[in-house]
Amino acid sequence: MARSYLFVPGNVPRMLQHAEVFEADALIFDLEDAVSLEEKDEARQLVRSFLQTHPPSQPAYVRVNADALARDFSILDGLPIHGVVLPKASIQTLASLREQLDGEEWSVLALVETPSAFLELSDLARDPGVDGLILGGVDLRAALHAHPTESGIELLYARSRLLMAARAYGIEAIDTPYAESDDAGFETDLKRSVALGFDAKCAIHPNQVPPLNAAFTPSQERIREARRIVERHEQTGEVRFSLDGRMVDRPVLEEAKQLLERAKRYKALKKEADDAD
Amino acid sequence: MRTDDLEALLDVLELRDGMRVSFHHHLRNGDAVMNEVLAALRRRGLKDLHLYASALFPVHTEAAACIEEGTIRHVTTNYVNGPVAEEIARGKLRGEFTMQTHGGRARAVLQGENAIDVAFLATPAVDAEGNGSGIYGAAACGSLGYAVEDHACAKRSVLITDSLEDFPVPGQLSASHTDHVLRLPSIGDPGGIVSGTLEVTRDPLGLKIARMATEVIRHSGLLRNGVSFQSGAGGISLAITEQFNDMLAATGTQASFFSGGIAAPHVKALERNLVEKLYDVQCFDEEAIGSLQRNTGHIPISAGDYADPTNASRVIKDLDIVILGASEVDTGFNVNVTTDSYGNLIGGSGGHSDTAEDSKLAIIVAPLFRGRTPLIQERLFTKTTSGEHIDCLVSERGIAVHPANDKLAGRLKAAGLPVVDIETLMQSAHAYTGRPKPITRGDAIGIVEGRRGDVQDTLYRKAG
Repeated sequence: MARSYLFVPGNVPRMLQHAEVFEADALIFDLEDAVSLEEKDEARQLVRSFLQTHPPSQPAYVRVNADALARDFSILDGLPIHGVVLPKASIQTLASLREQLDGEEWSVLALVETPSAFLELSDLARDPGVDGLILGGVDLRAALHAHPTESGIELLYARSRLLMAARAYGIEAIDTPYAESDDAGFETDLKRSVALGFDAKCAIHPNQVPPLNAAFTPSQERIREARRIVERHEQTGEVRFSLDGRMVDRPVLEEAKQLLERAKRYKALKKEADDAD
Repeated sequence: MRTDDLEALLDVLELRDGMRVSFHHHLRNGDAVMNEVLAALRRRGLKDLHLYASALFPVHTEAAACIEEGTIRHVTTNYVNGPVAEEIARGKLRGEFTMQTHGGRARAVLQGENAIDVAFLATPAVDAEGNGSGIYGAAACGSLGYAVEDHACAKRSVLITDSLEDFPVPGQLSASHTDHVLRLPSIGDPGGIVSGTLEVTRDPLGLKIARMATEVIRHSGLLRNGVSFQSGAGGISLAITEQFNDMLAATGTQASFFSGGIAAPHVKALERNLVEKLYDVQCFDEEAIGSLQRNTGHIPISAGDYADPTNASRVIKDLDIVILGASEVDTGFNVNVTTDSYGNLIGGSGGHSDTAEDSKLAIIVAPLFRGRTPLIQERLFTKTTSGEHIDCLVSERGIAVHPANDKLAGRLKAAGLPVVDIETLMQSAHAYTGRPKPITRGDAIGIVEGRRGDVQDTLYRKAG
């Protein structure tokens, strides 16, 4: 599980060689939209050569081309990657991908970016090979004839629907990247992703990664509160109690436990003495 | 003498072959004064002059022509790039080439070691009495810190201005040291005076380095009320300054002073009451110039008061933290900011060596490789600053701490920062760039002088 997935264009050597240092939890080496048709073969060779000689320290994914899976997979053999991102995900493209995987146990993240994919979303989410759903907001917006708005209203249904499916089948929910260059808009969009409940968000620029990691890491205030809830439960065995006037019951307890798990995963748990810092 | 006629002034000055003539660099790449004066000296057929300029920029084309023709025989400066650098690197200078530090230059002038025959000092505003200031006039540049010692000690000092003011000009250049005032139609292009290097970096690598350097400061043990700080005008330095300001605000800490070259982020800190004083030897942008006019806590200082190692009250003796750049670093933490790895002259110490030695924490910030050229070399092309004065190197792939500062290393490791030894950092760059072939040096072309006048290193031409 990750907080940030950084897209790295497969045809730009400078981006490849520096990708690892930007502190993204996972990298997506892109052979699809970032690479023009005439550069596809060069990008395939570049990504292969790079991953063979400089495997990154974080999980690496490759975004393949849904309409050229065989060519893309021809260069993936034996690479130290964690998985693939399947664009234009559908039951049909997933079946084609499964053929190419040929028993390889790579993780699959399905990029949901067409209206028809939403009609098949439950089937995509419950596929045992799919570990997460990524919302592809830019393509979806275009397909819906929608326009980007400050409130994000045009994607609210898609975001919520994708989250429901991911939660229903216990897989990761990853929000669409923010494609504009204004910092304020990015911040608003990021807050929305966190508030809706996404696990992670994609980044299309390295400068988006640090705020993104920070936003998906539980705050110290929330960690302190969760700790008190869990400690009270562990000391008394109670699953229903009042803490500072707030009613705690089983769902709240579970939420607190999950939050502490996330905090631990992202090394945000401080010792009690440090909390005063 | 007060005149509008450069030729008449030169007659009075009775310049002779072999004299040492000085200039400052506060008009940076907008300076018109040095070109105009040197062109006149060349027309007069003067030979073997010693050009004593605090810095030389691409705009200084006339100096290159004077070297070519023999008008200039020796050059001493603290920083050089552009045509003069190219001319020297081609071996065209007939005499000696010396690179000094800002503090070392002030010391050498004050002690009479580098006696100046005539100081030609671009001065944005001069009053009827001969007082000079940098904060008024069409070519306002702010502090004139690098002109003060030249003005006071030169055998003859000429203030060259395009703004003769009727009102008294309070400034750094007192009339008591002014021998002549020359008015020219223009002393420079304001567009070139405010440097183009003042954008806070948006480069993700630069920002990563800046974030790590800020964390080094946070965990250094020096972040407390009264902390003092200096950073340059490069994009990474400015990003660190902004982050340092935010850290001061977030922790309720007030710094005592920021020093050196001053730019907008430093002014912001003063105006947010995050720092008590700005000790300004040079302004880098219009915001800094404006601040000198309106903020009493923004104080112009001379190069001698800034960094002269023999000045017991120099500002940087109390400096806690300095952020510095590098074109090369070796595994002994020695730093090159004078040439690149191929021997091209690209700058010079300026205040690098001065602040590295005097500060408690000298942090080098630089990417591990640029193109196919690694930062960390087994052998530097030129040593500008001695490694014993450097505390750590912050790169995008980790922080190397000088072995002598194991206390700092311990603090940073305890904070979870990625501390690695410098050889490991070098190897990680080589994994991308390959191990560079040793560069063959050509003939010696000059020396790098330490701040006390000692020879720090020899400068060589590129081979071939």
